[in-house]
Amino acid sequence: MQETEIHDLSDDADYAASQQQGSASMMRCESGKRSSSNEPEGAEVLYMKDNVTIHPTQFASERISGRLKLIKQSSSLFMTWIPYKGQSTNARLSEKDMNLYTIRAVPFADVRSIRRHTPAFGWQYIIVVLSSGLAFPPLYFYNGGVREFLATVKQHVVLLRLVCARDNFEFMFKVFTVLATVPRPRMSAEHANVFLVNDFQNPLQRTLSSLELPRAVSLSIVPSTPVSGGESASQENGERTDVDVLDGSPSIRQFYRRERQKVHDPARDISMQLLEKFSLVTKFAREATSQLFWETPSNAFSLFERGSSNLSAIDSSQKPRDDVLELPVPVPPDPLELDKLSLAWGKPRQPPLGLEEWATFLDSEGRVVDSKALRKRIFYGGVEHKLRKEVWEILLGYQSYESTYAEKEYQRSNRKTEYEIIKNQWQSISPEQEKRFTKFRERKGLIEKDVVRTDRSISFYGGDGNANLSFLHNVLLTYSFYNFDLGYCQGMSDLLSPILFVMEDESESFWCFVALMERLGPNFNRDQNGMHSQLFALSKLVELLDAPLHNYFKQKDCLNYFICFRWILLQFKRELEYDQTMRLWEVLWTHHLSEHLHLYVCVALLKRYRGKIIGEQMEFDTLLKFINELSGHIDIDVTLRDAEALCLCAGENGSACIPPGTPPSLPREDGFLFNSELDDTVL
Amino acid sequence: MFAILCVTTCYCSTSMFIFVSAGVGKSCLLLQFTDKRFQPVHDLTIGVEFGARLIGIDNNPIKLQIWDTAGQESFRSITRSYYRGAAGALLVYDITRRETFNHLTSWLEDARQHANANMTVMLIGNKCDLAHRRAVSTEEGEQFAKEHGLVFMEASAKTAQNVEEAFISTAAKIYKKIQDGVIDISNESYGIKLGHQTGAGLSGGRDGSASQAGSCCG
Repeated sequence: MQETEIHDLSDDADYAASQQQGSASMMRCESGKRSSSNEPEGAEVLYMKDNVTIHPTQFASERISGRLKLIKQSSSLFMTWIPYKGQSTNARLSEKDMNLYTIRAVPFADVRSIRRHTPAFGWQYIIVVLSSGLAFPPLYFYNGGVREFLATVKQHVVLLRLVCARDNFEFMFKVFTVLATVPRPRMSAEHANVFLVNDFQNPLQRTLSSLELPRAVSLSIVPSTPVSGGESASQENGERTDVDVLDGSPSIRQFYRRERQKVHDPARDISMQLLEKFSLVTKFAREATSQLFWETPSNAFSLFERGSSNLSAIDSSQKPRDDVLELPVPVPPDPLELDKLSLAWGKPRQPPLGLEEWATFLDSEGRVVDSKALRKRIFYGGVEHKLRKEVWEILLGYQSYESTYAEKEYQRSNRKTEYEIIKNQWQSISPEQEKRFTKFRERKGLIEKDVVRTDRSISFYGGDGNANLSFLHNVLLTYSFYNFDLGYCQGMSDLLSPILFVMEDESESFWCFVALMERLGPNFNRDQNGMHSQLFALSKLVELLDAPLHNYFKQKDCLNYFICFRWILLQFKRELEYDQTMRLWEVLWTHHLSEHLHLYVCVALLKRYRGKIIGEQMEFDTLLKFINELSGHIDIDVTLRDAEALCLCAGENGSACIPPGTPPSLPREDGFLFNSELDDTVL
Repeated sequence: MFAILCVTTCYCSTSMFIFVSAGVGKSCLLLQFTDKRFQPVHDLTIGVEFGARLIGIDNNPIKLQIWDTAGQESFRSITRSYYRGAAGALLVYDITRRETFNHLTSWLEDARQHANANMTVMLIGNKCDLAHRRAVSTEEGEQFAKEHGLVFMEASAKTAQNVEEAFISTAAKIYKKIQDGVIDISNESYGIKLGHQTGAGLSGGRDGSASQAGSCCG
């Protein structure tokens, strides 16, 4: 398993090449000391840096290096970045791409801010945001020199440095990690500094131009309503009324106070209202800027709360215009937009693990050498169908990673005997005995009824007198003896079906099902405690990852998340095609990143459709129906990528939303087990 | 097995629900009513599924939205939440399985406890085409209905006998309650919503499948 996403600089050929090239050609100009013949008449190059690089895609191999310059002409400062000709590291980057990224003499009068990022690992980079809202892609300084760059800029324009609360920094950085697709750094080690730029040559004009544009844009969207009315109203009163909802943290409050003193309000307006959809990059910048100036996830929520009394007050420019016009109700902005997150955090899915690659994970006797690497590999691509039997047994915990081929065979044979013994317990019940054994009769009757309506459209279970139906029946009934307290519950046949399909063997299926039910059994408890704890965790995760959506569900009295009941109970089996279900399950079973990835899958799906849900003001019943009807319309690869991104983004805060012992975590010892007084009365 | 029937009309909308023990044919009844077909093999219901059809009562078009919920006892704590906002219920048992009849009381108590007091409940003895395997007599069904103030009917999802009648007469009873002012249509907890006469609002069919909604209006 290669860690393709981590760019270790020391091993990076591209980096090495750039180093070489840089040392050969790098020349740094002290400010004002030199004039280049390439520059127009009267222009003075104040700063020049080679190997300043753009990473236009997620792939480390696709980079464009170029030369960054600061030029002074007629007492105005300009910035240029010209990519090297014919130096593209990848054929996929055409000349056209290079031109696209070229920065030609941008006057600092048009620059809104410069953001400096100093990751603990990797190169320092800056992001330049124009007052029009356009943000240039991050410029990575392969040869250092950010400090000199800023120092040079500072000599000619006013740089106002913003100091933010750490929380904000961290969030901001997350956004820019997406943008920059740099190796994922440790958040706490990350520094980002923002410098507001003001051209002292003509500050008044600049401020005015900043002011006019956003107003014009906003008014064209919602003609009758002042954009972010609630916000400006609170400012007019001289007090920020929403300070108290900023989770009460003094540092954040201080930040807002300080920020208000230092920064002219138009700056906030600009960051909130500008930044139309020039490009994906611009959208990232918009979000980051808004995060910086105003929104934390928690007060995005408060924005919506205020908005619910006056919905039109919600800043419509946060959404692309088309969306706003389509929807009857403005949808509050998503604090974490999936497309942005998933672009970098959710890695591209890989092809499923094949036979040859599988062999590389095993030693000569069949032990899995590096279980973590294996789980990670499966997480990103699943496994080919012909390998499923072998791999599923391990993922589910029926076979151990450390077992040799011989040990696995021994286990199989032992377990087969054991299975036959349990099976014989119900097989030996005579018809006479059965007459006086209501519970058995009911249980058996229900299993018989359910087996014949489980996946009959799949050829494996199709047709009359299909032997596989008897296998389903036998395994379920045997399980209800193996775990008599839990018994049989509707939904179990759905969970068993793909397992039997893969194992094609009664005993093997049974033991894999047993292993699965160790984790999912509480879903079927009579008091539904397993389901309730997952639905509760889901509600906490949505609150964390999409506060406006959470608020919407709260308003509609849907916080019990029963709308997601089937998703969770059956692990999306009814929502996906059969093969997609198998793919999802093996990914979930890796427990890579989280045991509870399925909950992030729920969040990912809800977030995908948040615009529709809120825009159409769905109530509990319409919502339930809508969710049901998503069945068959879910792209599992996209969804997994979204879920991965959300899971990473939520980090420890996400884990904290999920109480210990929540399925599919193994039940805790302290009484989280099945309630022995449960009655499986069948109705 | 258990289902909720929700009625929506163009001038007003109503919700009601049906409920049945597991495996007595609730999904089949629903499919027969919404799609006019019998599908003996149908995936067992998990959570809740939906059906909808447009009918007419006194020349008023009414959209019935039917909630078809999981029948097994273990899901009851969840399915209870669906009762709210239902204007009516069909309580169904299987005439060939005595135990489904024996469980009616508990379902009825549950429904009465968690739904609004004016909910209209109709008792349906399903599978009346299987008379040779009958385990519950018609008289017993009638007696139970009488004791609990329910309307009673035997029906067959397979032959479609009385299916139409069961749903429509339940809807008609709800409609009458609206007319008589027993149900306050401005209170959504009674399961009635004022409808908006939009195309989308009149679509029908099971879980969004192609429907014949409106084909049987009047």
